[in-house]
Amino acid sequence: MAWTAESSDEELMLHYRDGDAGAFDVLYARHKGGLYRYLLRQCRNAAAAEELFQDVWMNLIRARAGYTVQAKFTTFLYRVAHNRLIDHYRKSNQATVVSLDDKVEDGAAIVDPPDERERPQDETLDAKRQAGRLMALISELPEAQREAFLLQQEGGMTVEEIAQATGVSRETAKSRLRYAMSRLRRGMLEWR
Amino acid sequence: MALNEHGTGGANGGAERDPRLERLYHEAANEAPPAHLDAAILAAARREVEARPRTLASTLRRWHVPASVAAVVVVSVTLVILVREEERAEQPVQAPVPAAVSRVEEATALQTPPAPGEDTKEAAQMRRAAPVPQRQELRDDMKFSTALGKRDDQARIEPGPHPSSGMAAEATPEPAAKPLPERFGAASPGLAEGGAAPAAADTVVAGRLEGAPAAASESDRPAPGAQRPMSATPEMTVRAIGKSRPAIWEGFEKEPPEKWLARIEELRRQGRSPEAEEMFAEFKRRFPEHPQAAGPR
Repeated sequence: MAWTAESSDEELMLHYRDGDAGAFDVLYARHKGGLYRYLLRQCRNAAAAEELFQDVWMNLIRARAGYTVQAKFTTFLYRVAHNRLIDHYRKSNQATVVSLDDKVEDGAAIVDPPDERERPQDETLDAKRQAGRLMALISELPEAQREAFLLQQEGGMTVEEIAQATGVSRETAKSRLRYAMSRLRRGMLEWR
Repeated sequence: MALNEHGTGGANGGAERDPRLERLYHEAANEAPPAHLDAAILAAARREVEARPRTLASTLRRWHVPASVAAVVVVSVTLVILVREEERAEQPVQAPVPAAVSRVEEATALQTPPAPGEDTKEAAQMRRAAPVPQRQELRDDMKFSTALGKRDDQARIEPGPHPSSGMAAEATPEPAAKPLPERFGAASPGLAEGGAAPAAADTVVAGRLEGAPAAASESDRPAPGAQRPMSATPEMTVRAIGKSRPAIWEGFEKEPPEKWLARIEELRRQGRSPEAEEMFAEFKRRFPEHPQAAGPR
């Protein structure tokens, strides 16, 4: 059975496994942006993100012969990326690795990000500036919370899928996501 | 523009979702990997496919479900066919044979011309007058059943007269049927084994099936030049494998009544009552006018 542009990710990957390189092109076009942004925001370094991005896709290409549908393709893809990121953190000995645990997930521990409250209140903000503010807030999120948020937004994943991709329980994933949203909302609330 | 009025995400998933925030994020997040990275990854993907177009493992994986289903179907169908054939093979032995036998009898009667020199009237008369097969016949029947390993003991022939006189006539070793060996001498090697007609008659008895009229066995005998009317019935097969036994009175056919009586007496003395009874029955048939035949044994 031939694939179409509407074929699911899993079907496309199966076609690629069976030797259809065209199916991979479609799959790559669907997920390259999301995966790249996920890696970029997580490691905060464009060069490292590109390297990780290439590694993740190369891993996928090498693993094509043994691919079987055991989970949603995005879960599979982002799990590979998650593992690659952890390796990257370990290698670079980043302090952010510490924040992968949930110690900072108490609402009281949320520290307001450096904002621009000093700006005049009457200054109207356009959408671009609002977006810039949101990005700053995201970058200030603890690692695990940011990852949960990015997996939801870039990977289009549910709480269960986030839990699967990051190897935590559903409740943990849900909690991370809730704290992330809460912080972002609070940060945007104070900024008019 | 404030985002606080949207609370905790509304109907879209509780506190874990916020449509306004999400929309704002997607408007802002538009970074993409550089083009050279895209080209490198896509080229690597193509190279991988060209290097290993389709692995054996992936081919097997693709076909293992259909192959398994096909194997299950083939095995099931084979089993069903085998079971049905087995049942069909058992049926002729267990099913009532008389219908098939009577058909054979009719067909043989139509196709088989009387043998030269055979007095059919006399033969029929002798058949009617012939004694009912006795214990020897039953013994042979039991031997046959044991040999075949058949399980239906109830269907075994009960001692006593057969419901049909034809059956009795068939089972009776009769000298009048002497022309019979000539009739089916070479046509049936199994029957020819006994050599003489009485022996052949015994074979018939031995080969009789449970509850089957023995009269059919005569119709099984092919006449010279006559085609076999039907394929071999189980009874015919059994007859072919049946062991023929010479009659107890063999060699006495031309002897006077006194010799017969002396032999009968000798058999009785030896305790061979069935044989003595058998010989005495034959004696009575051969010498009905003899005073010993009418009186007590």
